[in-house]
Amino acid sequence: MITFLFFLLRISPGDPSQKFLSPDLSPKLASLIKESFNLNAPLISQYETFLMNLCKGDFGISYTYRIPVIDVIKSFLPFTIIFSLISFVVQISFGFLLALISVRRINGIADKTFSKLSLMIYALPSFVVGVSLIFIFSELLNLFPSSGLSSFDSESFSFAQKLIDYSRHLILPVITLSLGGVAVYYKYLRDNLEEVYNKPFVENLRAHGFDEKYITRKHIIPNAVNPLISVAGVELGLLFGGALITEVIFALPGMGRLTVNAILSRDYPLVTGCTFVAGILVIITNLAADLIKAKLDKRVVKGILN
Amino acid sequence: MRSNRLFFLILIFSLLLIPACQKESPVNNDRVVTAIPSDIESVNPLFAFDLNEGNISELLYASLVEHGWNYQKGDMDTFPMLAKSWQWSKDSSSITLNLRDDVKWSDGQQFTANDVVFSFDLYSDPLIQSKLYGSFKNFYVDSSQHIDLKKTFTITNPYLLTINFKKNSTPSFYDIDFPIIPEHVYKNVSRKDFVTAEKEIKPVTNGAFYLAAWNKNQSIILKADTKSFLYKPGNVSEIIFKIVPDYNSRITQLKRGEIDLVQDVKADDFPILKKDENIDLVALKGREYDYVGWNNIDPDVYKKSKKIVPNKLFGNPLVRKALTYAINRNEILNEFLDNHGDLAWGPISPIFKSALDTTLSPLPYDVEKAKELLASAGWKDVDQSGVLKKNGQEFSFTLYIPAGNPRRDFVSTVIKNDLQAIGIKVNIEKLEPEVFFQKMYGRELNAWMAGWTIPIPIDLKPFWYSDFSEAPLNVECYKNKTVDALLNKIETTKSESQKNILYKEVQEQIYKDEPVTFLYWVDKIIAYNKKIQNLNVSPLGPFNRAWLWSVK
Amino acid sequence: MSFKIKVWHFIVFLMLLLIMLRINLLMNTFLLIIQFINLFVYSPSAADAQLEFTFFDSIISAILVIIIPVLTFLFRQRINFLQRKISFTSFVIIFLLSFFLFAPLIANTNPAFQKDLAVTKLLPPFSSIKVIHLKSDQNKIENSLSDFINLKNLVVKRSFDESLIFADSISIGNDLTYFQKGFPTSLSKDKLILKNNQPFITSKYFILGTDEFGRDIFSRLIYGARISLFVGLGSVLITLFLGLSLGFLAGYPGGFVDTTINRITDMFLAFPVIFFIILIIALFGNSLMSVIIVLGFSGWMSLFKIVRGEVISLKNKDFFISARLLGLSKTKLLLKEILPIIIAPVIVNLVFQYGNVILAEAALSYLGLGTGGSYPSWGSMIEAGQNYLSQAWWMILFPGAALFLTLFAANNLGREINSTLNPRLET
Repeated sequence: MITFLFFLLRISPGDPSQKFLSPDLSPKLASLIKESFNLNAPLISQYETFLMNLCKGDFGISYTYRIPVIDVIKSFLPFTIIFSLISFVVQISFGFLLALISVRRINGIADKTFSKLSLMIYALPSFVVGVSLIFIFSELLNLFPSSGLSSFDSESFSFAQKLIDYSRHLILPVITLSLGGVAVYYKYLRDNLEEVYNKPFVENLRAHGFDEKYITRKHIIPNAVNPLISVAGVELGLLFGGALITEVIFALPGMGRLTVNAILSRDYPLVTGCTFVAGILVIITNLAADLIKAKLDKRVVKGILN
Repeated sequence: MRSNRLFFLILIFSLLLIPACQKESPVNNDRVVTAIPSDIESVNPLFAFDLNEGNISELLYASLVEHGWNYQKGDMDTFPMLAKSWQWSKDSSSITLNLRDDVKWSDGQQFTANDVVFSFDLYSDPLIQSKLYGSFKNFYVDSSQHIDLKKTFTITNPYLLTINFKKNSTPSFYDIDFPIIPEHVYKNVSRKDFVTAEKEIKPVTNGAFYLAAWNKNQSIILKADTKSFLYKPGNVSEIIFKIVPDYNSRITQLKRGEIDLVQDVKADDFPILKKDENIDLVALKGREYDYVGWNNIDPDVYKKSKKIVPNKLFGNPLVRKALTYAINRNEILNEFLDNHGDLAWGPISPIFKSALDTTLSPLPYDVEKAKELLASAGWKDVDQSGVLKKNGQEFSFTLYIPAGNPRRDFVSTVIKNDLQAIGIKVNIEKLEPEVFFQKMYGRELNAWMAGWTIPIPIDLKPFWYSDFSEAPLNVECYKNKTVDALLNKIETTKSESQKNILYKEVQEQIYKDEPVTFLYWVDKIIAYNKKIQNLNVSPLGPFNRAWLWSVK
Repeated sequence: MSFKIKVWHFIVFLMLLLIMLRINLLMNTFLLIIQFINLFVYSPSAADAQLEFTFFDSIISAILVIIIPVLTFLFRQRINFLQRKISFTSFVIIFLLSFFLFAPLIANTNPAFQKDLAVTKLLPPFSSIKVIHLKSDQNKIENSLSDFINLKNLVVKRSFDESLIFADSISIGNDLTYFQKGFPTSLSKDKLILKNNQPFITSKYFILGTDEFGRDIFSRLIYGARISLFVGLGSVLITLFLGLSLGFLAGYPGGFVDTTINRITDMFLAFPVIFFIILIIALFGNSLMSVIIVLGFSGWMSLFKIVRGEVISLKNKDFFISARLLGLSKTKLLLKEILPIIIAPVIVNLVFQYGNVILAEAALSYLGLGTGGSYPSWGSMIEAGQNYLSQAWWMILFPGAALFLTLFAANNLGREINSTLNPRLET
């Protein structure tokens, strides 16, 4: 993947040194600058140095920020991780909550409205949601700030104030990012729950006179949640890659915007760095999902045996 | 269980709502907050490539002299700064500067002439690639444009410095007006790794402000240095550059009083903001013009063989004039810029009153005249297909614009329609800015739209000289021997009034040839809260001498 | 029992409505066709110069608007779909399809038409303006060609028109004075087209308002539907081709090839697709074609997984082995033996993919990387609307709603097909 990216970037039109060349400079000097970025060397030798550095964990120096890529990513990654985790938790918990409510009475009013709503929300593009939220809550009602992560004077705030400041800035982005996910998880969980609900072993338990609450908690939920975990793993990985559109709308300092800006300004080392980090995060979350699944499985197995 | 869950839900919602009820924190009284669209990359004046970086670095670091705009003259005045006084030699080939002895760097070290010499050294060092690298034309430099320090500087004592300029050059104050950086801080940094190593060093400044905090992608906070020679009690104590990428949020926050100064306000918002009693608006006559570039030569032939062949479509001045006649520039000016601008007809901004040739005026919007000119150049709609043809070739071309610039989008759309009405097929293609500028500077484009900000002092040579190696900005490949001769003459002329006469002659030549379609000069609209006093918006930007501000 | 509106009722009704509303235009179009044939016979080269896409577009939609209701009526018994009760999904889909086919008929204005910005800029929905008609001094030479061109200008909507002036209000004295944004301008009456000795003045309505260029949002919306549909269908076809062939290539021989392709697919699945798309578009420029291709190339992974899984499970079945032993070529094996079996999941996947593509195209346009300024696209309309959010809500509402309805219909369609084919999952 990284190799593919490297060559793709190099063969594309556009020149990163453009930015540093004041047009007053003569072409001779321009090539000098290119030299300093090692852009004039043959492709293969560029690739060699690149791979060598990669092995050392060194992505090189970002052209635009003029500091090591790792440091740039370090300053953007924490936000992305926290932001996606918050959104992830919101997605899962709301999806789960609503699914439980609607499963209690299949085809009841709640079930029907939620199902219809989830389909509609799923069809709402996030940029439409984001822009409308800004319009309603920032421009008309003036309740929340429309962009950024914190107020400029947040330095002087106490810890509690800071926390409030952050959450004020994050409410609209979290809603924008999570809305689609809530709908997906809701649908997925609801269908799973319903399926497990009607499985023979559940009927069997019921026939044995077990309490419905007990059955739901100990048997139905674990069984329904299980397949969700691997889905959630993939989703979380993608979230880490950056909730691009949301970050753009709300001007948040996250990986998505970083990557896109890096692509647009032809900052090769930064693009590779970002991609690499996104890939690693995807692998980690998938691994975590597998581990959790294995753990849960045992418990389910045990539960049934008992 | 049901009530449990209900309680839980209420809890969540109330948690979500609490922050909404919180009041904004009280605003510090003598602080000014301004918004910039993106974070800067460096506060070091060596690398202050973009406008805001320049503004910030000039607030942090003092220069030898400073400039202010003189509206009567339409030119700049020079004031003392780090240099208390100065003396030009009789033939103005050298200047002796009397430096202030009361300036301290923010780490307590004394500022001396050594800092000045060191700054010239760094700015011109090819290893550092500063923003001024290559611009020291009036100095003794070696083959790599590095200033020859021995030949150039004579330090009589730590506060008396003489600068010797190159023989037969025409030096001015602009050659020595840039922020000075501390020698003791950067002396031992290896020049080779300077670009990265410099990032690790905390800025040590000597200007009116010091860098109090820089929160990446959030804000840059400058605080007034009370010990600075530029400081007066009662002046603004803090200037904050808040990063707000979204334009609409900048305007909303300005209205709410969260931000005190916004630059580059869209003309659409002018009337709305005008109604706000807390906000003052300034529409600054600009020195930025937009133009449609018509490549005077054939770009494909030039790329292949470096040969100069007139462009098939735009090689003829009649055609270029016709295109200008056909574009309704007044409509653009009225509807997109809300009349905050002036029609342009040449490369010298109306702000340079003495250099402007007032006998010329912009070509009007005249479709019939355009058709006539095109017909006289051989372009006619022979088969009534709605498209002009000449020798079987259709008049159609692609107009390139850089992506992500609403003004370019708007104007190019109008141009496309206007030209279609006289039978010219236009296809608009947006390119990523990086790609666009690479192609434009490579002279590969046939037709494009861009803008130039013309420098203070006026410098026409890079734009219109016909030897491309000396005129990297002559991307439309304009060639006119008379203009070349005039430009060369300007370079060696010292008298300002003589120069102005020559400038006028250049304008007449360019007016005659219409190498590009000059569209309009754009006013720069700046909106600020009325609480800021002494804010002087000049062509040098709102932050020129910002330390004189006070807050009501 | 109440009368049920079936799909074919709706189609026929819609077409008839369209014909009634645009009867003038239709008549002109057919006249134009006759004149064109006439012209073609007498001077083929002159006729040739008049050919352009918009010309064909108008003609084809005029012909189709007659043919389709007839065909629908004739085949109403044969085609199952036409007998269904009209549902929300089919309602939206039929609307979209008719936008796609009859855009020149439905939209009264060229989507790029702009004139007198001072009057037309950012008009709210349902506003109207006055139109002054000037005498055209061109085409004074009377010949068959000028007749033809006059007619053509009536049928094929151009993006400019010098013979009109738009005004906010008009007062008529000796001269005609019209007001644009409060500025009066006088015109002598001899320049105008007169009717009963009075200047001929009409009104122009903008049902959904105008954008910042004074362009008609309604017609941009209609033409935008075309772009969405075109991009969607184009890239779904590419996805189909890639998914099918790669899936077969991997699943059929198995072993090393299978593992390699499968690994690559996993890799693509792990990398956030939108970055990949932006990367390619940013690097190689954005045009309609490149957007279609990139979107097509970015969505084949799930289809690949489906096809590969099916091929692996099928290739050991008896009927498949016997077909192979009969000596059928690989392409034939794929098309004749495998495709019919996996068609159901493939179609469902493609319908969902179609929704994704439309969304991605809109998102790209929103980021300014879409199909470029030459075509009105819903995403770019939304993006433009965001800049005028507080002044012109209609600029963002209508394209936003159109996008939402399309996505909703696509998702619903996918689910409906899925549940018909897979009753177990019906909810």
